Amino acid sequence: MLLAIVVAVAVYQKNKAVAPTDGEEKSAGLGVFSSSADCTRLPQFLGRLKIPQPVLIDLSQKRFTGIALHYGQNYEETLHPEVWGKYEHFGTYALNEQGDIYLSPTPFISVRPTTFDLQKNIYKLDSKTGALSVFMRFDDVHPSASNPYGVISLAYDCEDQTLWVSAIDETDYQSAKGVIYHIAPDAKKILQSVQGFDALTILPLRTGKGKFLLAGSARDNALYAIAITAGVLSSPPRKLLELPATNERIRKIRITGNNQLELQAISFSYTLLAQSTSRDRTYYDATWDATSSEWKMEKRE
Amino acid sequence: MSKEAKTSIAILVAGLLLIALYWFAPEKTAQKKQASITVEEKIILPKNAPEVYQDIPEVQSYKKDIREMVNRGEAVLPLQGRELDDGAQKTQEILLKDQEFLKDTMQDGQILHNDMMRILPAIVSALDADAKQVCQPHACYQAEKYNFVTNVTTRAIVDVRNARVLSVQRYQNMQPDISLRLARIARAIALNAPEVKQELGAKPSVTDVSMANVRGALQESPCENSAHLCVAPVFADHSRERALWAIVDLTELKLVAAKWTRLGKTTTPARISERSLQNRYIMENYCQKNTILERNGWKLSYRLTGSDGLEVIDVSYQGKPVLTSAKIVDWHVSYQQEGAGQLDTTTETYMEGRRVEFVQVGDGSYFFGYNDAMGCPMFSTSVVLPFNAPQIRKLDNGFVLMQDYRNPKWPMACNYRYENRFEFYDDGSFRVAGVNIGRGCGDNALYRPVMRIDMALGDREKFYTYEGEWKQWKQERMGRTKDASLHEESKYLYKIASATDSRRGYYIEPNKGQPHDESRGDNARIFATRFKPEEGDQDLLTLGSCCDLENDGVERYLEDNESIDGENIVLWYVPRVQNDAREGHEYCWADTAIDASGNLVVKEWPCVVGPKFVPIK
Repeated sequence: MLLAIVVAVAVYQKNKAVAPTDGEEKSAGLGVFSSSADCTRLPQFLGRLKIPQPVLIDLSQKRFTGIALHYGQNYEETLHPEVWGKYEHFGTYALNEQGDIYLSPTPFISVRPTTFDLQKNIYKLDSKTGALSVFMRFDDVHPSASNPYGVISLAYDCEDQTLWVSAIDETDYQSAKGVIYHIAPDAKKILQSVQGFDALTILPLRTGKGKFLLAGSARDNALYAIAITAGVLSSPPRKLLELPATNERIRKIRITGNNQLELQAISFSYTLLAQSTSRDRTYYDATWDATSSEWKMEKRE
Repeated sequence: MSKEAKTSIAILVAGLLLIALYWFAPEKTAQKKQASITVEEKIILPKNAPEVYQDIPEVQSYKKDIREMVNRGEAVLPLQGRELDDGAQKTQEILLKDQEFLKDTMQDGQILHNDMMRILPAIVSALDADAKQVCQPHACYQAEKYNFVTNVTTRAIVDVRNARVLSVQRYQNMQPDISLRLARIARAIALNAPEVKQELGAKPSVTDVSMANVRGALQESPCENSAHLCVAPVFADHSRERALWAIVDLTELKLVAAKWTRLGKTTTPARISERSLQNRYIMENYCQKNTILERNGWKLSYRLTGSDGLEVIDVSYQGKPVLTSAKIVDWHVSYQQEGAGQLDTTTETYMEGRRVEFVQVGDGSYFFGYNDAMGCPMFSTSVVLPFNAPQIRKLDNGFVLMQDYRNPKWPMACNYRYENRFEFYDDGSFRVAGVNIGRGCGDNALYRPVMRIDMALGDREKFYTYEGEWKQWKQERMGRTKDASLHEESKYLYKIASATDSRRGYYIEPNKGQPHDESRGDNARIFATRFKPEEGDQDLLTLGSCCDLENDGVERYLEDNESIDGENIVLWYVPRVQNDAREGHEYCWADTAIDASGNLVVKEWPCVVGPKFVPIK
């Protein structure tokens, strides 16, 4: 009898682990969430330079290579020392409690001799000095002509002061070989790495049912959630929602309110990104309706 | 321990072992299921020219009505009576005279083709406060028209009782739900598409097709990057639990793509798009594998590369090897400007998705431009992407294999279109050609396609130039076609032959304007280098400078000045072609115009460059 129960539980648990990650159950289980208190701050050197807030962090690469900070009325003033462009282009950023800015690279428009190598790093703009440096190098990241991307996204986790980083370098048309890393920034140590999912963007999220890493897929037009248990990724990615356009990919996720996300979508096909202009990005508001247990999507005009 | 207890423990251990085996066993079922989904999700791209749809009665009648409408000086094709109730009829009459509603129907004095798409009683709850006040007691109607040239939808609210237009709103780059007439036309195009007939095994009947996904609200269209009005009629095959989705472009009245899917809620695509279907089809059929082509005595393989365009490999004629590989690795694009002294290069400049390079020259001017790599639509470093799949067309005395590459917004300024062409003739000659169809950023563009041609005349080859007699090149070097005044038989400037059998080889005939395609010559540089795998045998990233006219990028392979006497030789052929936008003299150019039906048409003036290889008799 005991054996029969054990077998039944095992079968149930296994089927649960490999069950399709979309379909009827796709949104269940995430729970309600709100925009939690932000632990991060802007860089301290802004105060020393008497730069007033608010400040806009510009990674659009339209006028400035690397990172630029805009401030003043209508953000007409710009801080962009030439050295902030020396590592070419950045795609995403994350602030921490001290005001350091972590940056992920991106290839952009043209490939130069240095481009592939630069995709192996995450970068840090020091809060106190404004110095830009390579923060951490991932030797297992190998961009190439058939996939110029390496480290592609990062997010800071205020709960445990860690970094989540995604890379998509080894993935190819046949299969997803992207890696999500969990990093302890103080020790510059990889706590966990999980292969098999191409995340174009990631964001840790605490909900009523636990903690999750939200991930916008580079391979399809969907948002996924991976459970985090005791600081460790502990479930397969589960599809939460799909964008209406099949060729769009979620590039940025922002929590904008109770049960509400802002999703920035772009076209993405593992080729070089064209110039970033607002018209090439689409914004959606995704709201979890607890009553009907479904996501409501609205495209912003 | 009793015997029963031992037996129980043994059963428990065995059970736990079985559970462990089960837990870690591979997911064969899931893999099989995935494989079957892949097979069913077949993508079909059209292989026929859009002209095949012109004889369809619904298309002919629609085009005739549009032409007559434009001839009458009107811009909006009204809805037909059976689509309208009395209120809608009255609404249409009011709107077709309303200046504000019709404001976007003319451009530079020319009528732009618009269709009234639908007119329905207005849903009061969706109106603004002012309109609500009027429409609660009265009957209001909502009308939508679509401008096929500007891709703008106009929505108007009309108070029918007072014959008053309450509001007019325009939605850029949005398409409305379509009229019943256009739905019939879309169905007719899908029913008559040769590709659909072939997939279904017979010509389908009108009852086989449904328009399940016709939009109910303004949305982005699934074709031409949402710049055209498109719909996707669907053919359901219930017996095999599958459906064929056909994407029909109603702006150009043609089928643009089709896809088989499984039937069922979870597999029915909410949206399918021409671009994503094209990308998948091209990746799976031409980027992930080689395609073999046998025709007219020729046998060859071809594939799309990551950044070197269409490549032909292992080409033979009547069983004898001809080419190991031929491809165009890059297009250098440059423009000359005055005012080098005022040039500010402290920040990078980008134009339509490309990083611009600047090269100053001595006379106070400078060149700017970029390198365009052509390649696979996914997983590549290319900037100009394949449009549709490789095409094979018949020539009078042979056939041509070609691939069209375009920037998505071509022919808008700073967007480009290139064709890679390989012409194979029945007499064993062949031509490697590059075609530019504009439009570029200006009327002073200089294009330099970099062609890499690796002949297969044995491991040991010799290369010659004609100077009244054939003179062999012993070392790697470069030559210019325009410097030559003497040609063998007035045509051939170079030849390449086997080092062990001089009769086995090819004359090389540069284009001096003789191919009767109105070309203005190649003005090429030719380089002969010793084969090295790292020099372009695999995909090359962009090669050299776009804008240093003394440097085509291949010079780096001449630096060692190695012997090519009896070596495996690679030829690099780099034509130089200047575009021309002067009226009546257009060359490497494209432009748009409004035709007699008020529709946008693209005018093309291609320039074709590239050498012909003729067998030595």
